[in-house]
Amino acid sequence: MSPAPIGAPLPEPSLPPRKRFSDLRSVRWRIDLGILPSSPSASIEDLRRVTADSRRRYASLRRRLLIDPHLPKDGSRSPDIAMDNPLSQNPDSTWGRFFRNAELDRMVNQDLTRLYPEDDSYLQSPSCQAMLRRILLLWCLRRPEYGYRQGMHELLAPLVYVLHADLDHLSQVQKLYENCFKDEFDGISFSESDLVSNSGFTKITNWDTVTDKDSDFHESTLTVSSLDDLDPNARDIFLLSDAYGAEGELGVVLSERFIEHDAYCMFDGLMNGAHGVVAMADFFSPSPAIGSSTGLPPIIEASSALYHLLSIVDSSLHSHLVELGVEPQYFALRWLRVLFGREFSLDDLLVIWDELFSFPNGTCIDNDAEYNFKILSSPRGAFIAAMAVSVLLHLRSSLLATEHATSCLQRLLNFPKNVDINKLIEKARSLQVLALDSNVSSSSSPRSFNRNKLVIGRDYSLPTGSASPKTPLYPLPDSYWEEKWRVLHKAEPLLKGNNDHTVSGRTIKKALVQRFGLSRTESDPSPTKPGSEKKVSRSSVRRRLLDDLSRDMNLEADHGKSECEEVPGIANNKESVSVEEDAAQDFPEEPADKNTIGRTSDCMAEEACLSGENSSVFSTATSPHSMGNDHDNDSEKSSVTSNSFVGDNDEEMIHGEECCNHCDDNQPVQDPETTSSTTIKPETDVSLKQVAVSREQRPLSGKFQWFWKFGRGSGEGNVEKGGHEDLQRSPAAGNVNKDVLGSSASDGCCNSCGVGKKKDLGEKKVMGTLKNLGQSMLENIQVIEAVFQQDRGQPGSQENLTNNILGGKGQVTAMTALKELRKISNILCEM
Amino acid sequence: MVLVLALGDLHIPHRAPDLPAKFKSMLVPGKIQHTICTGNLCIKEVHDYLKSLCPDLHVTRGEYDEESHYPETETLTIGQFKVGLCHGHQIIPWGDLDSLAMLQRQLDVDILVTGHTHQFKAYKHEGGVVVNPGSATGAYSSITYDVNPSFVLMDIDGLRVVVYVYELIDGEVKVDKIDFKKTTTPHALTKILSPNNSSESEYFGHTFGVLCFLIIAVEWCLASEQQS
Repeated sequence: MSPAPIGAPLPEPSLPPRKRFSDLRSVRWRIDLGILPSSPSASIEDLRRVTADSRRRYASLRRRLLIDPHLPKDGSRSPDIAMDNPLSQNPDSTWGRFFRNAELDRMVNQDLTRLYPEDDSYLQSPSCQAMLRRILLLWCLRRPEYGYRQGMHELLAPLVYVLHADLDHLSQVQKLYENCFKDEFDGISFSESDLVSNSGFTKITNWDTVTDKDSDFHESTLTVSSLDDLDPNARDIFLLSDAYGAEGELGVVLSERFIEHDAYCMFDGLMNGAHGVVAMADFFSPSPAIGSSTGLPPIIEASSALYHLLSIVDSSLHSHLVELGVEPQYFALRWLRVLFGREFSLDDLLVIWDELFSFPNGTCIDNDAEYNFKILSSPRGAFIAAMAVSVLLHLRSSLLATEHATSCLQRLLNFPKNVDINKLIEKARSLQVLALDSNVSSSSSPRSFNRNKLVIGRDYSLPTGSASPKTPLYPLPDSYWEEKWRVLHKAEPLLKGNNDHTVSGRTIKKALVQRFGLSRTESDPSPTKPGSEKKVSRSSVRRRLLDDLSRDMNLEADHGKSECEEVPGIANNKESVSVEEDAAQDFPEEPADKNTIGRTSDCMAEEACLSGENSSVFSTATSPHSMGNDHDNDSEKSSVTSNSFVGDNDEEMIHGEECCNHCDDNQPVQDPETTSSTTIKPETDVSLKQVAVSREQRPLSGKFQWFWKFGRGSGEGNVEKGGHEDLQRSPAAGNVNKDVLGSSASDGCCNSCGVGKKKDLGEKKVMGTLKNLGQSMLENIQVIEAVFQQDRGQPGSQENLTNNILGGKGQVTAMTALKELRKISNILCEM
Repeated sequence: MVLVLALGDLHIPHRAPDLPAKFKSMLVPGKIQHTICTGNLCIKEVHDYLKSLCPDLHVTRGEYDEESHYPETETLTIGQFKVGLCHGHQIIPWGDLDSLAMLQRQLDVDILVTGHTHQFKAYKHEGGVVVNPGSATGAYSSITYDVNPSFVLMDIDGLRVVVYVYELIDGEVKVDKIDFKKTTTPHALTKILSPNNSSESEYFGHTFGVLCFLIIAVEWCLASEQQS
């Protein structure tokens, strides 16, 4: 029945305190939180006495503080009814206090109803809610200087849950050792003679009979001799839950009746820190702690300690966060106040708290020694900070990929649920040692101390962080750039792999484009084809594209500048040629419209080049480095373009109109695209780690302006002649328009790329802008593709088949532009 | 625990400009769960003010009320008490306890709140309470001229109600308190049981008699048969 007997006596000094109540979490926590004596020599009796004392204290507190205005106080009715009436304005009156309590009660209740609504039914049960409410209320009344703050209930709930869980455990053990726990006291005391009992627990029953407060000595000896048969854990449980031990019923350490009392004591211990360093209540108070050197509220100080630790462990992540302007308290406030209760599920949380509470809370630094952060001066506080840092490190790669403070915070505050908690704790443990060391060493060596001070100053005097990126406050290690490269390369396959999933729509479109190209040569313009073929073609295209990309990247890496400058020219040529070819092909297919279309397509081809150049003016103008020569030339050309616009008659107007339509269409598309691009950040934005946000914004806004200008300019053309809208030609024109967009974008980017190359390759600033350009080109691509998608929706009926072909033509040309764009952007990113 | 504010006969603006400032400062929103008003507010603004104290407002119609949709009487259940509300000008003689008790029985309520006399009154009567909160503004009435402003706050808790009376005398608020406990009436139970018992015994006696008669008759028949 019971495992092998253990010969050790009950008050076992050899057992380390950690192992003592290994399966009784609530008891262990109570010891860790300083409610029960922590010395390993403390006997069960001592535990029971201390427990009973704490419960008595709570009971008297409850009697004193919970007010019922109907009960006359102390038997003597207060005669002053003018003061003690419900409408009394006196805050000290019974009713005044009653109403204040009711107010507090309401506030607490609001939070309690939302406490772990999905996790556990016990915490939502009415009795438990009432208990939690009472505990919180009493604590707040006891400590009016803190009052109730949101989050306190989430600190309390796990404590109550643990107490409850241990009771479950107790009942299981009771079932297992039924004989031992059976309360035979009343029956046996009168008939000791027939105390036969079939089991080997005769002595235990015997002990039961003898147990009395008077015979302590007798009891202990008997206990030792008989309970040795039990395994030590069960024995502890038995002794803790025995109603006849020291203090009787009140001393039962695990008791259903006294959950409330125990939970209050634990909560109080947690909030006050039991005279240790980390008192959770401080985290809720807005005023600086007494004796704090920084004069900051404790929670802010703790979060800056967190950043300090992060800067030691992972300076690149730290500097990235600082540059984004992500203050530590933005997320650490939540993490620290509820001790990660929001980030992890309840079960994981208990494991974390196990570890957390197991570290002593007392300061491990001498009083006279100077230290930076109060929280880091105790092992427990250091573990809290270390845990937070390990969570940060867990999110490292995705955090580094963010480029806005908001998206960064989004990731920080939506911590993934399925995390290997043990790994996190393992890491935190190693970090904790580092944290403790750093806190001490920083005080001993003046040099590093200064550095730390600088860190703090930077955190707080320059909250944006990006204001001084060049000032060498941070001597970045050389390995940092290497690391960035590594991350970049690692992200590259990730990007490819993920594109298949996230942007599958894009690949479908490519497949369609290819199919249309094929169908034209076969002169079989059927719009629907089996899906399997689509898939095959899609994947082939995909693969080809990727091969292309990788080959090109290698090439570009080798050849560098000159190659890069050649590419755009080729692309341009190819593009215009393809446009003209397509137009020529369209001639026999469409005899009716051939003249007009031929003309338009010619115009478009011309215009594609011209306005491509034209637009490059815009893009270069928006980019910080504009070349005077280019500007002059292009402005001439743009005037030519405008001439062609004016000189042409209706077709041009219609085209303008369509352009306008499409541009208008573009606008709504753009926004979701940009937002989606932010959501796909981890894949696409890896390259943008180091770039400041402000710099990023500028080209983007410039681009949008350009879009608007385009739309408006073409819109103006048809204001007078709004009315005849050629539905048949709309896709064609739209596609050509896209051509324009695509080619112009590529041209613009190539130009600026060349410009950038010429300027200075080594300069990081330029690199940043180039990366931005690559980024914006990627977004350009997305915009174009979005337009494709729109187009795909329109045609479908037989009469629109021709339009489909036209659309296909446009798409093919746009696709070439797209490919070039991709190549170039990848080159840029590579740089 | 429920706090119920009872007041009435404000006669704003005809006989009084407003509630006394001291009352106004005491009546703050958030404390009171129900307001019952006997009537004669008389204008809508007062109704709105009372609504601002507590959204759950019950008003009956006084003879000067502009609003005509207030009911003549109203009953509501608060906790374990049934509360009846009526202005009281309909009940003659005005303020007569017996007449009010009649209304109390009619409405079948534990607490009856009426107004109209502008004089605070509270009676314990026939296991119930009859309360007149007086005039909250101290408006004169056709019966009396010197009226102290007064209202009533009832603290209903389980089977117990504590009536706090707030009266403004010479510029000072005087508070009085009347305790009242509702008793579960045992005699009502016996009333229900006793007729049952009697009818049962009657019925039993009746059947017993019939049986005896039958037996006698049968015996007599048998005897006569034997004789024949």
